[in-house]
Amino acid sequence: MKLIAIVLMATVLSGCSTFTKFLPAKPKFPEPIKELTEPCPSLETIKNDQVAITDLLKAVVNNYNLYYQCSLKNDGWNEWYKKQKEIYDKIK
Amino acid sequence: MSQLIWMIDLIPNWFWTLVLWTGVLALVASYILGKITFVSQYKIPLRVGGVAATIIGVYFFGVIANEEKWQARVDELQRQVKEAEVEGEAANEKLDQALQDKKTVVIEKGREVIKYVDRFKDREVLKTIPGPERVRVEEVIKYVENCPIPKELIDAHNMAAEPVKGDKK
Repeated sequence: MKLIAIVLMATVLSGCSTFTKFLPAKPKFPEPIKELTEPCPSLETIKNDQVAITDLLKAVVNNYNLYYQCSLKNDGWNEWYKKQKEIYDKIK
Repeated sequence: MSQLIWMIDLIPNWFWTLVLWTGVLALVASYILGKITFVSQYKIPLRVGGVAATIIGVYFFGVIANEEKWQARVDELQRQVKEAEVEGEAANEKLDQALQDKKTVVIEKGREVIKYVDRFKDREVLKTIPGPERVRVEEVIKYVENCPIPKELIDAHNMAAEPVKGDKK
């Protein structure tokens, strides 16, 4: 009789856990900004064998410029990640 | 198991309320009506059925309460996810705008420096520069004209600018 009572009690109490389901609320992975996904361009090289110092300087300036554009993308990724994490960490 | 759960899901909630109350009433009836001669022969089946119905009723009451609790949690989560998606999209637009603005500044700065360097390429520019500034620019132009960069230094520059092997490009 005790055994039956224990089995019945266990059956009744298992009502909550038997029908537990997984939460159907999966957040979609956020899409990054399109520009951030584009690779950084190659640096500029000098094609001629003999050039004026201004041409060399221009190539260097262009390369600095490309670096800073690429650096913006890197900063953008960091900022994007930080912001998106902040937003999705709020989900509880 | 999932088919069984699916089939049980089809049964409306009020049915389990009915089962529980029927079980309770059957139990009560088995005690009260057991004293009446004609009904007393059904006392045991009524009691067993009543206990079974009460247990099943309580069990499914638990299931329903649990389901409602989870459904509320799911609704809340879905609302939060939706809000996060909208907020994420807005943050993306804001960041995109900020990046575009900064990129414009960087490109513009590069153009200005190139324009400045170009001053030293052409003697024509001297006609537009007045006073001592013209003397300085002329000196630089003279230097640019007389000092071409040797190939070795150009190669060194190109070596540094080319991507390393195994790089994406």
